[in-house]
Amino acid sequence: MKKAIYVGIIFIILASGAYVAYKQVEALNIARCLGCLAMEPKTKAFEDFWVEYPSFYTRSGIPEHPSWLVNESRQHVTMLFFWFEGCSACKSQWERMKKYGLVEGGEADGKFTENFSYAKLITIDIINSPQRDALKIYQTEGRMEAPTTVIIFEKNDTIYWYAFSGDANGEGGRPDVETLVKILERAEEEKNGGVQP
Amino acid sequence: MVVCNLNCASCPLAYACIPITIAGVIALRKYRGRLQKKRLASQMTFLFITNTAFLFGATGLIYSYFYCWESPFALMACPIGVLEHAFVDRAWYLLIYLAGSIGFTSIIFGRAACGWACPIGFLQDLTSKRKTKSEWDKKLRILKYIILAAIPPASYVTGQLAYTLICPIGGLTATLPHLLMNPHGYTFTFFFFPKMMVLVGFFILIVLLSRGWCRHLCPVGAMMGPFNKISLLQLEYYEDKCLKCFKCADVCPMQINMPYDTKTAECIRCGKCVDVCPTDALAFKFQWQ
Repeated sequence: MKKAIYVGIIFIILASGAYVAYKQVEALNIARCLGCLAMEPKTKAFEDFWVEYPSFYTRSGIPEHPSWLVNESRQHVTMLFFWFEGCSACKSQWERMKKYGLVEGGEADGKFTENFSYAKLITIDIINSPQRDALKIYQTEGRMEAPTTVIIFEKNDTIYWYAFSGDANGEGGRPDVETLVKILERAEEEKNGGVQP
Repeated sequence: MVVCNLNCASCPLAYACIPITIAGVIALRKYRGRLQKKRLASQMTFLFITNTAFLFGATGLIYSYFYCWESPFALMACPIGVLEHAFVDRAWYLLIYLAGSIGFTSIIFGRAACGWACPIGFLQDLTSKRKTKSEWDKKLRILKYIILAAIPPASYVTGQLAYTLICPIGGLTATLPHLLMNPHGYTFTFFFFPKMMVLVGFFILIVLLSRGWCRHLCPVGAMMGPFNKISLLQLEYYEDKCLKCFKCADVCPMQINMPYDTKTAECIRCGKCVDVCPTDALAFKFQWQ
């Protein structure tokens, strides 16, 4: 009888724990912290924005961009930065962006600096942010990767996007800042005809 | 539908499939006895299930054993990784889920997951049967509890996944497979060489000593071990049937004081002692009392 009570108590702990934390653990599992493996994927050169999922995604067709992101991308070029506490690769990218003068503040409440104010930065804590579901949309399912940085804009009712991913095949990862800035400027050029002086 | 086309060079599953096949062939020669055949089937099944993210995607479940969730097709989350995240992120609710996950399997099966499910335990079953009579062996068993106790403060203070950065299991089941699959796809961080050195140490340990990792260093084993005293699954000792031949002590991979210490936190419920006992003085039983 005593053991039955133990089992019951632990089952309640398991059920309540899963209720509050299953989604967060799932997000962490999807996020694939390659930095934790003591390595970082090399990045592939940006070629063009996508409208549909590119061929190396296991999914096809146009992604179901979240409505809050569609609204943002209508107004300005938007960059999603995925991060979590303890992610050394996230931290390193953030510090590089900060040093370059692209962003200011911390990961949790950071924004683009004055020089890049034509674009909007949304930082997404993949454990705690209500916007963390975006992680799944830009993830290539069934493969060892997760989006790290996504740049997105809308023009003539079409959403254009590009995702850097922590990809096991070296096709993505954490981008260098110069590449990011070039992509942001290119996106602004496509959307509004270029960065205003 | 996944179908083998016997073209391992281009198959992303080959990294898991080849070791499972090789391990199975080696193990068939090593696993003797009724329970051991079942245990081999269980270990191979769990090794497969552990790597089925290509079928089900990454889930929010937590392994009740040690396996890296950054492994290419890892299905569930690493218990140590979840523990670290709880302290790095100050996300205390993760601890409730972790305690529930580890606790639930452990209250039922004790530390049986080490013997019947853990892929790292499986690897050790194939690598060495060497035993030691050293007193140091007994003293060093406390190391795994010290490591487990050190992980939360280390993660909290450094704000890093302090154990993961040098974890040999992560090195073996995630770093190396990724490198094998894509040798030129990565740059290395500062922790790469320390991690590889720890991995070399891990290999030396498991070759030199039977279940050396489980005995001395595994923090997941340290989480589950104490449940052996109260788990439903118990290793029962019937003294009236015992011939005191100590064959059980000879085959025990954890070198427990058999047949007397059946409730010790070190027992991985592998059942080798049950198989070898000539008079059935040892048996597994589910007990509610």
